[in-house]
Amino acid sequence: MSYPDRTPAWRRYLRFIRPPIARDVDDELRFHFQSRIEELIALGATPDGARRQTEDEFGDIRQVRNDLMSIDQRVAAHRRRGEQVREMLSDLRYAIRSLRRAPGLTIGVVLLLALGIGANAAMFTFLDTMFLRAPEGVVSPGGLRRLWTYHHFSNGAQYWPGFSYPEFEAVRGAVGNDAKTALYSAPQKTKIGLGESGVEAQVSTASVAFFDLTGARAELGRLYAADEDRLDAPERVAVVSHRYWTNAMDGDRHAAGKPLVIGGKKYTLVGVVGAPFVGVDLDAADIWIPLAFYAEGRGSGWWKKSETNGFQLLLRPSPEANDAQLEQRLTAALRRPLFGSYGDTATIAEFGSIVRAAGPGKRLQEVEVGVRLAAVAIIVLLIACANVVNLLLGRAVQRQREVAVRLALGIGRWRLIRLLFAETLAMSLAAGVVALLVAYFAGATLRRLLLPDIHWATSPIDWPVVSFALLLTVVASVAAGVIPARQSAGTDVTTVLKSRAGGVRGSRLRAALVISQAALSALLLCGAALFVRSLVNVRSLDLGFNASRLMTATATYDYHSRKDDPTTPARLAELSRRIARIPGVAHVALAATRPIYSISWIKFYAGADSMSREFNPTYTVVSPGYFAASGIRLLDGGDFADSRSGQHTVIVSETMAKRAWPGRRAIGECMYFGTRGGDCYRVIGIVGDSRESAVIEEAKPKYFLSLSDLPPEAKDWTANYVVLSADPARAGAITSAIRSLIREEFPGGIPSIVRLSDYLAPQYRPWELGAKLFTAFGILALVVAVIGIYSTTSYGVQQRVHEFGVRIALGARAVDVVRLVVGEGTRIVAIGVVVGIALAVAAGRFVAALLYGVTPNDPLTALTVGACLLVAGMAAAIVPAWRAARVDPAATLKTD
Amino acid sequence: MTATSLDLLQGTLDVLVLRALSWGPMHGYGVARFINRGSDGTFKVLDGALYTSLHRMEERGWVESEWGNAESGKRAKFYRLTTAGRRAVRSETTNWNAYVAAVARVFAATPEPAR
Repeated sequence: MSYPDRTPAWRRYLRFIRPPIARDVDDELRFHFQSRIEELIALGATPDGARRQTEDEFGDIRQVRNDLMSIDQRVAAHRRRGEQVREMLSDLRYAIRSLRRAPGLTIGVVLLLALGIGANAAMFTFLDTMFLRAPEGVVSPGGLRRLWTYHHFSNGAQYWPGFSYPEFEAVRGAVGNDAKTALYSAPQKTKIGLGESGVEAQVSTASVAFFDLTGARAELGRLYAADEDRLDAPERVAVVSHRYWTNAMDGDRHAAGKPLVIGGKKYTLVGVVGAPFVGVDLDAADIWIPLAFYAEGRGSGWWKKSETNGFQLLLRPSPEANDAQLEQRLTAALRRPLFGSYGDTATIAEFGSIVRAAGPGKRLQEVEVGVRLAAVAIIVLLIACANVVNLLLGRAVQRQREVAVRLALGIGRWRLIRLLFAETLAMSLAAGVVALLVAYFAGATLRRLLLPDIHWATSPIDWPVVSFALLLTVVASVAAGVIPARQSAGTDVTTVLKSRAGGVRGSRLRAALVISQAALSALLLCGAALFVRSLVNVRSLDLGFNASRLMTATATYDYHSRKDDPTTPARLAELSRRIARIPGVAHVALAATRPIYSISWIKFYAGADSMSREFNPTYTVVSPGYFAASGIRLLDGGDFADSRSGQHTVIVSETMAKRAWPGRRAIGECMYFGTRGGDCYRVIGIVGDSRESAVIEEAKPKYFLSLSDLPPEAKDWTANYVVLSADPARAGAITSAIRSLIREEFPGGIPSIVRLSDYLAPQYRPWELGAKLFTAFGILALVVAVIGIYSTTSYGVQQRVHEFGVRIALGARAVDVVRLVVGEGTRIVAIGVVVGIALAVAAGRFVAALLYGVTPNDPLTALTVGACLLVAGMAAAIVPAWRAARVDPAATLKTD
Repeated sequence: MTATSLDLLQGTLDVLVLRALSWGPMHGYGVARFINRGSDGTFKVLDGALYTSLHRMEERGWVESEWGNAESGKRAKFYRLTTAGRRAVRSETTNWNAYVAAVARVFAATPEPAR
């Protein structure tokens, strides 16, 4: 084989087909062979000998040729990469230069994208910590299971996470060696330290096995030992999280062994759990104490009762164990009659992820709102992208001449697209940076708004969020940049260069974009309206008492209960008399319990009527004047008397009266407590229904007993709270006045003053959140859409200046022109509104569960939103329309 | 290959090629002629190895290539040293001289008595 002679003529044509690298190598080597052979022949060799010698001197031709080609390929690839980088940099430089010339557009686009991306990144961090991320510091969280049971409760079937100790034992017995088990209670706010200076921390109770299961270790001191873990007579020991140790204890190296007062009881701190472990719940735990203290105060032997069932159960199945089989075994174990407190033999045990929100239990309503908001954030990003496309299209048209000139000068269309795309990319990158700021603040705000009581362990911004934002940035720049860039690159050179004004390309596309923006805004505004109306509905619910005026006041102690002190009722009575004199306090009374969240019942008989078993009214022990102080309306009869009139009295609620004595006036009827033959407690008054625990609940039957006239079954009750009706405008001053009175009346006591509205506020939160956040996003969407409509209309007007000039020259009045332009703008918006409302009706079922007293396909909502958007659309079109009407016909016609 | 020819190490070959190019741009055949004539047949280098060396140095950025016309008027690929290549010539030449000198010293030395 040699280069010059054995190459047939036809193979020379191969050079046109072969890649340039192979061609170069062949040409180079062929030159070598020809030169050497010629030289040898000139020195007197025969052609054949010369060729043989050349080949001998060269070595393995095939091998060398392959080597050279692979080297050259590497060189070429390297060069190409370098060129690409250089080209990209020059594209970016060009992009930044040309963006500098259009600062308004740049800022607009950057802000739009930043808001869209930021909103999504913020939602991402929320959902990520909620649903995706395993609790920090847990070793192999994928192998951990949370146990749930599916129960049929009286109010319907649901997943339930709570377990009692006997159930835990049953579970432990059923899984045997196939899984490790641990019991713990979710962190709860508990007072640390003494007196009014005490601060709250999140305290969880946990068995030693809990630390073993989660892989948590002590970094200082030790975890509590097995004998400290005993259920009877346990040692008061505690361990704290690294975070708490650093923040609240200044990272004291000698902390182990020191005392720590938790909930008024002295514990010994034995160790610090290594960072970053803060438990397995969203709510970070600060302190862990042995399981036994969960039910402290409920008497010994609570671990034998199935009523104490607030524990959560974790399992770590062995690698060989089969989840489904374990679940079956647990289901069988938990259905044993011993646990019949639910009266349910249909209980099903089911494993869930260690991430609690991942199910299968019911999620918090706030979390449900959060999931919807994530969808809303995506819609906002879509609107923002549509608007950016719109703005860029407008710019593309303005630059048609520039682009045409570039094309005429010979720039490749592909290169041109890249050049234009670089602008979008540059803007997107800037937007991405701003978006991270937005995400940081929005993320923190979202957390505070959605779940303010959660003790977040992580920062709202971390690498997953940053990479998510980056991903969104790239997606958004592609979505927003490709169409305008292609439009520009598709410019017809001759048409543009010949005509002065340029074509009206893309106006149809822009109309479509405006329609989609209007539709999505309508969708979001519909959502906002629904949430606002739900909030209004929930807010206007009659609770039965006056929540804004109602306050309770009492003194609490760290070590002993007031009950131990026989003078407490008299001192509370004195306190109430003094409180009554504070300006702004209208009515004062005493009660044994708070007006809400206190449920007690005793057995009673009412007249001769038989009552169904479910009729189980609760009672509250109060003093005269309680109804005036709490705002509960007296419907019939009268209040308790200040002094006993010789007969026992009781006051019942409206529902109770109707259920116990249907069809009769309840006043004068008798209630007997304990036994049928006891004293008659005569009904002297009927009051309006009031809430027992939740803002949204059906009216429940209840009755009221007087503190000074208690049946033997309820005789242990004494006055515990002062209940008062205070002017909400002066709540601050009244609270501080009461606080100093309590300090005087109960030396050493800690004042506890609660406004009922504060107490109930968390219950309104899901609706407030839905209303606030949906409205915020809805308005954002509306603003963005209005900008879109404005820019499209004014661009359209600019394009048609000539036409308007002619119209005006032919006698059109300003009103006609305005009507024409506004009419066109409004038509586009109207189409969008119709589409949007249709979307809203279709999407309604995703939010229906979160609404109250309003359905998703509510015509009033749709009409209001439609009207709002149409007005906004008209307003956006009016300015450009006015400009169109003022076109000077002489000036425009002359330029042609 | 004759019995007197020596096998050359790759690094040595690069030095020779760089040395050849330090006289000015040359095509591959020219480099081959320069080396074989210069060595005067003391050692023989396979021409193919020279080309591999040239391309490898191009990859390393020591030489760059360009198509041009040879003395015969034929199209040939010419190689030229880059700035990095000239730096390499200097340092490689120094290294090589130091190496040769060291070898020469070893050859000239006589064994010292062991202490």
